Amino acid sequence: MKLSKLFTWLPGLIALAAVLATALPPARIRGFDMDKFGRLPVLEGGRVKPLDSVARNALLMIRSKQSVPFEGRELGPDEWLLDLLFRPQTADAQPVFVINDPDVLGLMGLKQSANRYFSFDAIAPRLQEIENQARAAQALESAQRSRFQNAVVNLYERLLLFNQLENSVQLGDSPGLYLELQALGTPQAAERNKSLAGAARFRILAPLPGQGPDAWQNTGEGLIAANGAAPHPALVSLALAGAGYKAGQPEAFNQGVAELQGLTANLRPQALRHADSEFLFNRIQPFYLGMVIYVLALLTLFASWLWRRDLLQPAAFSLLAAGALVHTVGLVSRILLQGRPPVTNLYSSAVFVGWAAVILGVILERMYRKGFGTAVAASAGFASLIIAHHLAMEGDTMEMMRAVLDSNFWLATHVVTVTVGYSGTFLAGIIAIAYTLRKHIAPTLDPATTRTLVDMTYGIVCFALLFSFVGTVLGGIWADQSWGRFWGWDPKENGALLIVLWNAVILHCRWGDYIRDKGLMACAIFGNIITSLSWFGVNMLGIGLHSYGFMDQAFWVLAWFVASQLALIVLCLMPRRFWAARTT
Amino acid sequence: MIKALAVRCWNFLASLQVTIVALVLLMALVVLCTLAQTDLGTLGAVNAYMRSFLVWRQMRGLPFPLPLFPGGALVGLVLVLNLTAALVKRFDFNPRKLGLWVVHAGLILLVAGEFATGAFQVDTRMTIEEGQTVHFLESYRQMELGLSDVTDPAHTEEYGIPDPLLRAGASVPVPGTPLSIKIKRFYVNAELAPRAAGDPPSMANMGVGANVKITETAPAASDKEGNATSAFIEPVAGGTSYGTWLVSSVLGAPQSFIHEGRTYLLSMRPRRYYLPYAVTLKKFSHDIYPGTDIPKNFSSLVHLSNPAKGEERDVLIYMNQPLRYDGKAFYQASYGKGDTLSILQVVANPGWLLPYISCALITLGLLVHFCITLFNAIKRRQLSGETA
Repeated sequence: MKLSKLFTWLPGLIALAAVLATALPPARIRGFDMDKFGRLPVLEGGRVKPLDSVARNALLMIRSKQSVPFEGRELGPDEWLLDLLFRPQTADAQPVFVINDPDVLGLMGLKQSANRYFSFDAIAPRLQEIENQARAAQALESAQRSRFQNAVVNLYERLLLFNQLENSVQLGDSPGLYLELQALGTPQAAERNKSLAGAARFRILAPLPGQGPDAWQNTGEGLIAANGAAPHPALVSLALAGAGYKAGQPEAFNQGVAELQGLTANLRPQALRHADSEFLFNRIQPFYLGMVIYVLALLTLFASWLWRRDLLQPAAFSLLAAGALVHTVGLVSRILLQGRPPVTNLYSSAVFVGWAAVILGVILERMYRKGFGTAVAASAGFASLIIAHHLAMEGDTMEMMRAVLDSNFWLATHVVTVTVGYSGTFLAGIIAIAYTLRKHIAPTLDPATTRTLVDMTYGIVCFALLFSFVGTVLGGIWADQSWGRFWGWDPKENGALLIVLWNAVILHCRWGDYIRDKGLMACAIFGNIITSLSWFGVNMLGIGLHSYGFMDQAFWVLAWFVASQLALIVLCLMPRRFWAARTT
Repeated sequence: MIKALAVRCWNFLASLQVTIVALVLLMALVVLCTLAQTDLGTLGAVNAYMRSFLVWRQMRGLPFPLPLFPGGALVGLVLVLNLTAALVKRFDFNPRKLGLWVVHAGLILLVAGEFATGAFQVDTRMTIEEGQTVHFLESYRQMELGLSDVTDPAHTEEYGIPDPLLRAGASVPVPGTPLSIKIKRFYVNAELAPRAAGDPPSMANMGVGANVKITETAPAASDKEGNATSAFIEPVAGGTSYGTWLVSSVLGAPQSFIHEGRTYLLSMRPRRYYLPYAVTLKKFSHDIYPGTDIPKNFSSLVHLSNPAKGEERDVLIYMNQPLRYDGKAFYQASYGKGDTLSILQVVANPGWLLPYISCALITLGLLVHFCITLFNAIKRRQLSGETA
């Protein structure tokens, strides 16, 4: 008895152990301590973060992946950044630019083929043409650009980012920081350092004693300041690390990086600690691992319907619980790292919508123990983390909040409540989908389980109405505080209102007995459409005060989603196994 | 017979079908209004779909527009009537339904608040440069023909003729002055360009207007573009004409004439509403995150001076922190001139508290209702557990 209980929890424990194992530092590559380098704090995008975050976000934006295959190995983000900074010729040969648009490929004289990744060297001959096309497209508002124009602007922006990073510590053609330090005072040096100061993407020189917390400098600014004065001590260590990396001498590199770390520990210990934590968060990638565990939970549950349900259903639940734990730890880490409530942008809203749906699903599973709670929670968690994974390509997911959004109080109340409302509506929709599939697939329908599914959906719709309504109203109050009107019929507000209205319609139809179980379920699936349009569709309109995150490519994904939900509604309303021949 | 009909009507008005139909219609309106915003601008779409009783559409080949859909105001009204009727008809002091009653009373208040906003809210703005003192608000949409008596350099006397009075052919006396203004032509929106050699002569024979070519254009549709409102006018006093002038909101150069030793400046400007108090901008701040151009905060430090009430105080207006004074709320809305000019949005809405009250009611009602439901559910589960 006890053994089988232990066995059911084992999969979850193994999953957690595997997550912990990813936190262990990997072996040094070619003897270089890239780990320590990745932990160094820099100021970029208005906040202090580890170099590893700079490298990862940039690589995600440029390549849509966190690694680069090169010379038979996978380069991690830190190694890629090191190449870019200190061995630019090597970095220019690495295939980092992903290009999918056939017209952009055509512009470069290339055919569409299996290879979608190109090095800077491969693009360089067409650089001028790309720049001309992008400049012309940038003159238009993004809503008016063609697909090609959006793609070419996107490529141009990635090239700019690549170029900025390459010129962040020293200019791409620099003989090294040592020589730059020696050349100080010459007119050419002044010119070079000025362009370095202008191009650099991040600021790596920590504020010296007596300077304010924002007084980080990039190396260009540091070199300019060092003319006729003592150089920032980090410049010398950086020169050593750079020279060591370029020459393939790990000892010199490791010593330089260790010196840099020591210096930062003295100058800005808090920045170093923050960078350390964020580095660990980056390496574990809790949301990615959570996604994998959710898939395992889902597969285990599917298996349980075919074999040994008594054993596999609890095992699936243990995996779900492990996934939820990892998801929660990731969410809490983000809150702590950013010092903000959980939802600050589209990316974090996806993470949070999934999280809330998973927690609700876990509660439902504990209440009813039919396996459906596990199924819907795992699918909700998996789907939302997949969406978040794709949204992460837009850049730093912990970006700074624009002025009007810089309010932890309203982010914590309005945004969180409204997002929980989204979660609830989606969860009701997912349960309804489960109901629909079960209706047509399951060999026999146990009426008690049907009752449970209907009760769950009804309860969740009530819950979603409560949260979406309160969240919408809190949003109105925030709008009254910041823009001078409670309600402005802005697209995002309208989207939230639609969710409230739809949930109210469902409940009133149910109370008036105009819909029964089947109708309730079909309505709940329609809620998925409304919520997805309100969540993402509004951003595609590109109007209104709320449209902070404009997206180009998600349109078709959304269209397919809506179509699939409509098909499911039809399926839900059709008689059980309508395709099978009726027996007399 | 009549009584039976009345009962049937009453029952229908209080019925759940009406609620559901109205809610679905409202959803459709919200979708239509959102989509229409790309073409009509937010305000245009809201006026067409939400604040109207019927949604009109001009069909091709028909001389008059047709009402195609009930508007937001009509649906809102039906919802309020339906809710009120339902409350009156079904009201009983059943404590189990207490939460729901409170929710629906709050909803009525919420819709009433939106009606009040649509009817009474006045949006204006205040544009101040650092060091400047301003004692008037400007309209966003209405214009006025401004007449400024600048004879005394220490004190300018201001007169304004609002745009509804600026109709071609009208002759408008300016109260408080011996002047009256003949309106020769009025353009809600126009395009102005330097007059080329081949262009027909300008209507204006005085001021810069003589060298300007003007073409009438359709009023601006989107919220972002403004109208270049313009007019040809002829100031007349005691039978003397001072010539025909072109005034336009896009003409910056001052144009003036002298009548009986007094100098009058002509302009077309946003309509002004004068305040019994003055606001001085002491400092405007535009903070950004280090190393980026992402704005962190905008704030205006202003001095509020109301001698009639003996009030002299400094106020900091910043993001999410408006100044509420004199029934108006002053919000930080925009800025300009290299961060030395601040634009405050000024909203007067006598019904601004209604949504707050209704929200409190609804939230309270929902909480009560769900607590009751949850309590009952737990009790049922316990009961069924005991019987099982």
